[in-house]
Amino acid sequence: MKDISIKLMPYERIKSIGIKNILSDLKKNTIVVVDAKLSPKEEADLIQETMEEVSDSFSGIEIGSFDVSDEEDAGFFSQMRGRLAEFLLGKKRGLTVIGPAEMIKKIKKDPQELMFYLK
Amino acid sequence: MVVSYLKSIHKKIGSFLNGLFSKKKDIRLGLYGPPNAGKSTLANTICKDWLGEEMSSVSGIAHETREIIVKDKIVIENNGKKLTFNLVDTPGIATKIDYADFVKKGIKKHDAKTRAKEATRGVIEAIKWLDNMDVVVVVLDSTQDPVDQVNVTILGNLEARGIPVLVAANKCDLKSSDVTEIRNAFPQYEVIGISAKARENIDYLYERLFEVLR
Ligand SMILES: Nc1nc2c(ncn2[C@@H]2O[C@H](COP(=O)(O)OP(=O)(O)O)[C@@H](O)[C@H]2O)c(=O)[nH]1
Ligand SMILES: [Mg+2]
Repeated sequence: MKDISIKLMPYERIKSIGIKNILSDLKKNTIVVVDAKLSPKEEADLIQETMEEVSDSFSGIEIGSFDVSDEEDAGFFSQMRGRLAEFLLGKKRGLTVIGPAEMIKKIKKDPQELMFYLK
Repeated sequence: MVVSYLKSIHKKIGSFLNGLFSKKKDIRLGLYGPPNAGKSTLANTICKDWLGEEMSSVSGIAHETREIIVKDKIVIENNGKKLTFNLVDTPGIATKIDYADFVKKGIKKHDAKTRAKEATRGVIEAIKWLDNMDVVVVVLDSTQDPVDQVNVTILGNLEARGIPVLVAANKCDLKSSDVTEIRNAFPQYEVIGISAKARENIDYLYERLFEVLR
C-alpha cells in the first residue's frame, strides 16, 4: 500500500494561499480536509486547475463536501443564526474532503456524512 | 465603384443591426452535466424537433463531446409562443479523466491519451462558458447516483450566477432510472424526468423552459 497522508487545513488558509495551491499536495498522495464548504467558484477553479494538471500519472481528484446549512429540519431561528454566523465568518459551515482520484474508490454522501472508500 | 462601396456599407450596417437585434433576442440555452448523461442526445433531439437535423456526436464512451458545439437560431414554439435559441452542447464536466478508462473501452493507447487531453480542455471550456448562458438544462443520468459532487458544483455555480436552471433526469426509459432520487437530492430545483433518446416528456421540457424564461 502506498503511503497516505492527510492534511487538515482551515478554510482561511485556503483563502490566503489560493485553492490551486493544494494541487501539489493532491499530486503527492495527500488527502486534504478543509473545515468549510468551498464556494461554487472555488470548486470550479479547482476543477479547472486540476484539468490543467491531468497527466499519465495524475488522473485528477475526487471531491466530497457537505454544507451544514443544508440541514432541512433546523428551525427558523437556528437557520437565521447559522446564516448570520456564516456571514460574519465569511465561510460556509461544512466540510470538504479532496483526494487524488488514484487513491479513492468511491465517495458516499449520506446527506450529513461523508464516507471515503480508498483503493 | 461608389455604388458598390455604399452597398457594402449598407450591408455592414445591416448585419451590425441584425447582430444587435439577435443578441438581444436569442436565448443562449446551455446543456450541462457530467459525461455520458445524454447532453448531446438531448441536443440532437431538440435539433431534430425544430431543424430536422442533428448537431452532435453521441457515444457510449465518455467524453465524446470535447468542444463546445453551438447551433444558432433554433426557433422553438410552445403554446403559440415562439422563442429563438442558440443551443450550446457542452463537454461533460468531470474532476478526473483517466486515459486508461478509454483504453478499457477499446480505444488505442495513443488515441486514448489524445482523447483524455482534449477532454481536459473541454472541461475547462465548459466551465468558462457558464458565464455566457441565459438558461441551462442540467442533464443528469437518472440511473446514476445523483449526489456526485460535480452535479453539486455545476448547480452551485449556476445559482451563484443567477442563471435559471431546469434539471433533466435523463434516461427515464431505463428500468434502473430513479427520478425521485434526483428530486430528493436536489429539492430546491425543478426536476423533469425525460428520455432524450426515446423522446419521452420532451414537450413538457419545452413547456417548463418557456415558463422559467417568462
Ligand atoms: N437509454 C437511454 N440512453 C441514452 C439516453 N440519452 C443518452 N443515452 C445514451 O447515453 C450515452 C451517452 O450519451 P451522450 O448524448 O453522448 O452523452 P453526453 O456525454 O452527455 O453528451 C449514449 O450511449 C447514448 O445513446 C436516454 O434517454 N435513454
Ligand atoms: Mg456529448
